[in-house]
Amino acid sequence: MTNKVLGPQGREIEILLVEDNPGDARLAKEGLKEAKIINNLYWVKDGEEAMSFLHKEGEYVDVPRPDVILLDLNLPKKDGREVLADIKNDEHLKRIPVVVLTASQSNDDIAKTYDLHANCYISKPLGLAEFIKVVDAIEGFWLTIVKLPPA
Amino acid sequence: MSGYSKDQLIGQPFSKFFTDHDRAQAGIEKVLAEGGLSNYDLSVATKDGREIPVSYNATVLRDPDGRITGVLGSARDMTELKEAEKELRGAGAYNRSMIEASLDLLVTIDPDGKITDANSATEVATGCSREELIGMDFSDYFTEPEKAREAYQHVFQEGSIQECVLQIRHRDGHFIPVLYNASVYRDEAGEVIGAFAAARNITKVTEAADDLKHSVQDLSRSNDELEQFAYVASHDLQEPLRMVSSYVQLLEKRYKGKMDADADDFIEFAVDGANRMQVMINDLLSFSRIATRGEPFKPTDCENVFDRAISNLQTAIKESSTTVTHDPLPTVTADRGQLEQLFQNLIGNANKFCERRKSTPCINVSCERIEESAIPVTKSGIDNGWIFSVKDNGIGIEPDQVERIFGIFQRLHTREQYSGSGIGLSVCRKIVERHGGRIWVESEVGKGSTFFFTIPGEKNEE
Repeated sequence: MTNKVLGPQGREIEILLVEDNPGDARLAKEGLKEAKIINNLYWVKDGEEAMSFLHKEGEYVDVPRPDVILLDLNLPKKDGREVLADIKNDEHLKRIPVVVLTASQSNDDIAKTYDLHANCYISKPLGLAEFIKVVDAIEGFWLTIVKLPPA
Repeated sequence: MSGYSKDQLIGQPFSKFFTDHDRAQAGIEKVLAEGGLSNYDLSVATKDGREIPVSYNATVLRDPDGRITGVLGSARDMTELKEAEKELRGAGAYNRSMIEASLDLLVTIDPDGKITDANSATEVATGCSREELIGMDFSDYFTEPEKAREAYQHVFQEGSIQECVLQIRHRDGHFIPVLYNASVYRDEAGEVIGAFAAARNITKVTEAADDLKHSVQDLSRSNDELEQFAYVASHDLQEPLRMVSSYVQLLEKRYKGKMDADADDFIEFAVDGANRMQVMINDLLSFSRIATRGEPFKPTDCENVFDRAISNLQTAIKESSTTVTHDPLPTVTADRGQLEQLFQNLIGNANKFCERRKSTPCINVSCERIEESAIPVTKSGIDNGWIFSVKDNGIGIEPDQVERIFGIFQRLHTREQYSGSGIGLSVCRKIVERHGGRIWVESEVGKGSTFFFTIPGEKNEE
């Protein structure tokens, strides 16, 4: 891979993916592999793990603070909506942009997640090409255009 | 009268000329003892053997000293009167037997609501004898006496009542649903003297109606379940399909041309199949959403809906150089989004199947009130509301295919000829049916098709 660049902060971008479906996680990983910005993708499979990661508990003592979180809504153990609420109620975490990436197209889910201060809501596209487009768009917008808060 | 001559009569005993000698003799004795009698029935035995009913009036004759000298008797021929009486009795028996033969419950009631007569069907239905019924309050035999009382009061006030549904309580406790018709009857002077009520036992009809109601409920429930099933199935199938589809596409992206030609073919078929399935599942999902995720009906301006549908279709319409026109369109009570979808599917369909080579494709949308339309109710399904038509001059449809086209995933052409999954018209039908209307098509091959659909009007909209 050529033409890889560092993020706007002059370093690699740290991304946390909260996703229970390995197929989806792998797709995100494959998509981000082709991203221009050098990024490190961390993958956790449920809400509890996500909170441990963010609080640097247990095996996550040495992980970095993520620059952006990609969050699925339907998760085992701790639901994505609860994870979102916890993040947005936490003084130290609430500035991290949360991109809700879910299969749900329900208007209720959309309204509810924005009420919980999600930074954006994206329905998982059906095809690979669209999925890659979404990953590109996330990269282009959240990792390039947007000024992220200082860590 | 007797057929005997005067000479033959004089000197003969009086009683000899009657069929019942003893009764004649008793008559004479009664006259002598009491001084007279009136309307004493006897039968004259005539010389030629006939009998003539007569009515005797007689009185004794006395001399100035008060001694009886004879009896003056006069007889009136009662033949005609007796005949008339017999006839009347016969007619009465005939009428009575008709009333008793009726399987409907017949009663007469007086203005106070007391039963004055009842037939045997009423006895059977109530479990009470005629004697018991006569004189009782009419309303006592019903499960809702108040309603029965109102009914007969209505009869005496208005002259009649029709199809009043009541329920008789049989003496043994079981109920019989009946349908009452009743009207007043009058004496010769025109005064109302009572009401005649006829009731039909509608147990079987009621049971049939209940059965029908249950069947409809069952059907509606299974229909709801089916819709829910279609929704859940198509929704949940999307997830695994997304995996199949995405990874087959990833395979194609990374490995196309890097393996042998067979591998490329196989991947291509897999990608194509996954894509088609995705379209179908999506279509099925939107089809099931018509019922499960519909919006409430609101007044909807169809001109506005038409404009939006056209704007959604503008690329395709431009491409085929189709002229789409419309007559004035009304405001109807509908689910706005679904109506837009309906217009869009029908116009889009007409646009897709236009005959490009022959003439300029034209589509016209029009609407009229059902009451003013020449289309019969048997076709439109409703008698109040609107009938829309979408007319094109396209390729038309074979007569034996006009029903099939509304089925899910039914296609009349290959995918290479005309694209699409075959869901469009079934979505149309589903939308129209959710609104309580009907959809059908009239078509001639090579000349074009006209799709009709009806949308009911508000009951109070006038």
